[in-house]
Amino acid sequence: MTFRDLSAVLQPIAEANGLPNVFYTSDAIYAEEREALWFSSWAGICVAADVPEPGDACPIDFLGVPLFLLHGKDGKIRVFQNICRHRGMILVTEPRQIAGAIRCPYHSWCYNHQGGLVATPHVGGPGQNTHPDIKRDELGLIEVRAHIWLGVVYVNLSGDAPAFTDLHADLIERWAEFDVPLYHGGADSTFTLECRTNWKLAIENYCESYHLPWVHPGLNSYSRLEDHYNIEAPGKFSGQGTEVYRQIEGEAGAKFPDFPNLSDKWDTGGEYITVTPNVMLGVQRDHVFAIILEPKGPRLTREHIHLFYASPDTSEELRLQNADQWQVVFVEDIGVVEGMQAARGAPGFDGGRFSPAMDGPTHIFHRWVADKMMHTPPDAEKGLM
Amino acid sequence: MSATESSMDVLEVRLLAAHDTGDVATLVMLYLEAADRAAAGYHIEKECFFLTHAWIFALEIGDPLADILRARLARNGRV
Repeated sequence: MTFRDLSAVLQPIAEANGLPNVFYTSDAIYAEEREALWFSSWAGICVAADVPEPGDACPIDFLGVPLFLLHGKDGKIRVFQNICRHRGMILVTEPRQIAGAIRCPYHSWCYNHQGGLVATPHVGGPGQNTHPDIKRDELGLIEVRAHIWLGVVYVNLSGDAPAFTDLHADLIERWAEFDVPLYHGGADSTFTLECRTNWKLAIENYCESYHLPWVHPGLNSYSRLEDHYNIEAPGKFSGQGTEVYRQIEGEAGAKFPDFPNLSDKWDTGGEYITVTPNVMLGVQRDHVFAIILEPKGPRLTREHIHLFYASPDTSEELRLQNADQWQVVFVEDIGVVEGMQAARGAPGFDGGRFSPAMDGPTHIFHRWVADKMMHTPPDAEKGLM
Repeated sequence: MSATESSMDVLEVRLLAAHDTGDVATLVMLYLEAADRAAAGYHIEKECFFLTHAWIFALEIGDPLADILRARLARNGRV
């Protein structure tokens, strides 16, 4: 099988193979994925809580594309390409508060919080701040389509994906009960894990519950395999759910407050779904988490984990306990995703076979990748140079 | 050295110190002071040069003075 012959992946699960090795090891494939899977879709880049106050700005390296997030004085969060329209200088190099204009550190061209170019000092000569050939209304910052859902900031770099709310309408509807104010738990509710693995393996592992009793024996003590179900929406999303989510308890039985007006399903329910390409979400009655994958090459991935609650005032002790609990689970997963990555060096591996009963969600993700990679010309920079 | 030249030297030292510490609010006031001194000497090119700097730094920190400085530049046909 060559990397372009992905027909085996697209077969029904009973006959299908997984993606070939090169999809996990090749720099060329990794470069193609930027366009085919990331820039053409809605990818998660950070959380809105990274810029909590008006004026807060934060730079983001999105697969080599410099962006920055700005919480405008008008209250809207926008994402811009992090470059001055003059000489292409980086504008924001570290998280900071921008009370007024965004001033380029090179020649001090200034932009307002909507991205408009408002000042071009000395552009017509010393002390002359206009020039007839420099048309400010044509030289604003390049804004990137952005959408915030469940606390995560998504961008569509190509600009031509369907609206986020259309593309993910089914998932948004499925989890409508969680589309309420979410409160990031703060510094104690975020952590980053670095995994020597391809980003796709992190998702493949997240999709299915098959591995839980083997990799997470602690969870298995109360959340057994038979308590889980597959979530399968081919071409859209996939994941898993549990019917025995158990709330974390502190001393004297203290618990987090629930999200308001949840239906009975969520009394003991929890669901875990990937928003392709790179955001793994989990929802439970008392908290939501997001894992934003940041690939750093075909063999290295950073997982940025964020925990959200129903109230801005939650117990620090409980938050720490919850973050610790999830960190244990996610660290347990590192061994298998790194192990699968190492195995992709075996030349005879055919992508593997799926369990028709247990691996449906993972196969849906493989099909999503294969379908997009087969329908995108192998020109990683198409339309973006 | 004249008294004016001497005071400009002091101003330059203060400007450099404000640049070093990134004290943008002080930079606004010091460049405005430089512009005013230039205006007093009828050096319109220098005035507008310094006014431009004061305006840009005022813009950066969202200082309402930015509007006044811009208006002054506009009166000289510089924006």
